Amino acid sequence: MSSNKILLTSSDGESFEIDEAVARKFLIIVHMMEDNCAGEAIPLENVTGDILSKIIEYAKMHVNEPSEEDEDEEAKKNLDSWDAKFMEKLDLETIFKIILAANYLNFEGLLGFASQTVADYIKDKTPEEVREIFNIENDFTPEEEEEIRKENAWTFNE
Amino acid sequence: MLKKTAPNSPKRRRCSSFAAVDLVGSANRTFMVSVSLPKELILEILKRLPAKSVKRFHCVSKQWASMLSCPHFRELFLTRSSSAQPRLLFAIEKHNQWSLFSLPQRLTPYEKSSSSSVVVTPEFHMKFPPDGMLIYPRHDRRFSFGYASGLMYFYGMWINEHDYDGVPVICNPLTGRYASLPFLERYRKAFSFFGFDPIEKQYKVLFMAYPSGPDHHTVLTFGTGEMSWRKIECSVKHDIVSDGICINGVMYYLGDTSEFMTAFVVVCFDVRSETFSFIYPGSYCEVINYKGKLGLVFCDDYTDDAIELRLWVLEDKEKIEWSKYAYKLKDEKFSAHYVSIVGVSAAGEIVLSMADFTSKQPFYVFYYNPERNTLQCTEIQGFEEHHGTFDRRSRVRVFVDDCSSFYRFADHVEYLNVDEPKLLKSKIYDGPNAKIEWEEEEEEDEDEDQEKEEEDQWS
Repeated sequence: MSSNKILLTSSDGESFEIDEAVARKFLIIVHMMEDNCAGEAIPLENVTGDILSKIIEYAKMHVNEPSEEDEDEEAKKNLDSWDAKFMEKLDLETIFKIILAANYLNFEGLLGFASQTVADYIKDKTPEEVREIFNIENDFTPEEEEEIRKENAWTFNE
Repeated sequence: MLKKTAPNSPKRRRCSSFAAVDLVGSANRTFMVSVSLPKELILEILKRLPAKSVKRFHCVSKQWASMLSCPHFRELFLTRSSSAQPRLLFAIEKHNQWSLFSLPQRLTPYEKSSSSSVVVTPEFHMKFPPDGMLIYPRHDRRFSFGYASGLMYFYGMWINEHDYDGVPVICNPLTGRYASLPFLERYRKAFSFFGFDPIEKQYKVLFMAYPSGPDHHTVLTFGTGEMSWRKIECSVKHDIVSDGICINGVMYYLGDTSEFMTAFVVVCFDVRSETFSFIYPGSYCEVINYKGKLGLVFCDDYTDDAIELRLWVLEDKEKIEWSKYAYKLKDEKFSAHYVSIVGVSAAGEIVLSMADFTSKQPFYVFYYNPERNTLQCTEIQGFEEHHGTFDRRSRVRVFVDDCSSFYRFADHVEYLNVDEPKLLKSKIYDGPNAKIEWEEEEEEDEDEDQEKEEEDQWS
């Protein structure tokens, strides 16, 4: 594993020195390095320090993650368990921020995992609860809403 | 023994259960998030939902309704969602009712030695038909059963106990909606097949007449207009020997062309053009879907704990060119239970299943990996919970999804661009609601009759 260090700077001025192997989890940085745009410190204008620290923590754990072909079931299980605990500590607001940051950093693994976590959280919610979570205004007229609910009535009976 | 249950969430790189994650502060309340996500990231979340949730969230707002209905989202959903993953579908008969279950297929071949056994619990979908209605018993000469691209077909369903002749019926195992087709009187055996044309996105039912009877072969297109049976010609006179399967818009079944000496034929019916073609396999075989191609399985030997079989895969339809394979499968569980090949999984494993279920013995599905020459046994538990304990043997039908297309069992039919609510009007209700719904409908009917009588008096 490469021992080269990369310096990242968050939007609020925090600095993080990480191994190049960890930084390579973020495709935005890989492209910067390939284009020789990676100077002494790489500024990440869209990510705050508190979110970046969490993303780096996740990336470090996943640097040597077992591949799908890997037969080390124990390692896979341990990583799954760590992933679950990592998300358990976070509130929904933070997960939304992680989704935004993972998308900006082009960190596909974390973007998928965080999105799936939110999907699992909302999958059994009612439309009213989803509106509240995503801060969405109900723009249906009562008649329209009744019609669309009638059409999808089977999805409400758990 | 490894104990697993069917996950709600799609499989990512590893078999991780996302559902286990409890978000901080999320226990009993829903709260607003001040961070707003752009549309493409909302889609990133929504494409990972089950089909049922996607449909429910059409009610969130007009923007969400249009976002969840657009072709771009359909494409995302079908390639990513847990619902779009290929599945095994189990249909079990008991007292003229069928219990429908499904299980996600393994997306990667089993890695370990063949001795390992896995236990899984399938997801229960529904019992069909609704109370007060029955399906012909499996052994009845009029019984037919089919599955194509998300919908199931039965012939025939008794609307009430006094009906001798049942009607053909199509249902969606996920939503519980169903529709009956126009009744068709048949002489002697009533063999019918169900297929889907992925180009025109149309479902069709093919009725084959008894070879020496007076009836014509007929076909019906399932749709919203007035449906009617149309006569079609078939140049080869044959009796029907097997159930049918539909692969990429072609129905296949095994026929017998001779009254005296058996001469088998694989009948191929193109759903779109409504034309027949024929393949002569030389001996008895089972027809299966082999990764989107026609597969013929010839069982050469069946001893106590081993099956020797040959598999032919149709590589070129025009030239009738086959890839041919031979396998010998061995497992001590074969001795107690009759097993047959039901299809091929998305991971390229040959899937074998027991043909019958009773509460007294375990029910097994086997995955054979031809490349590694491994056979893995999976025990299916939990049928009794919904199907009830049953000492007599219940016939089990197992369908393996067509891995070559996106039109899969658990996809809501809407994703086929078929307007399901218009096509499948009735709804199967659970519990006491059923009575209430039907009583209300009957009262409405009585009111209508009364109004009609009053109108007649005035006219």
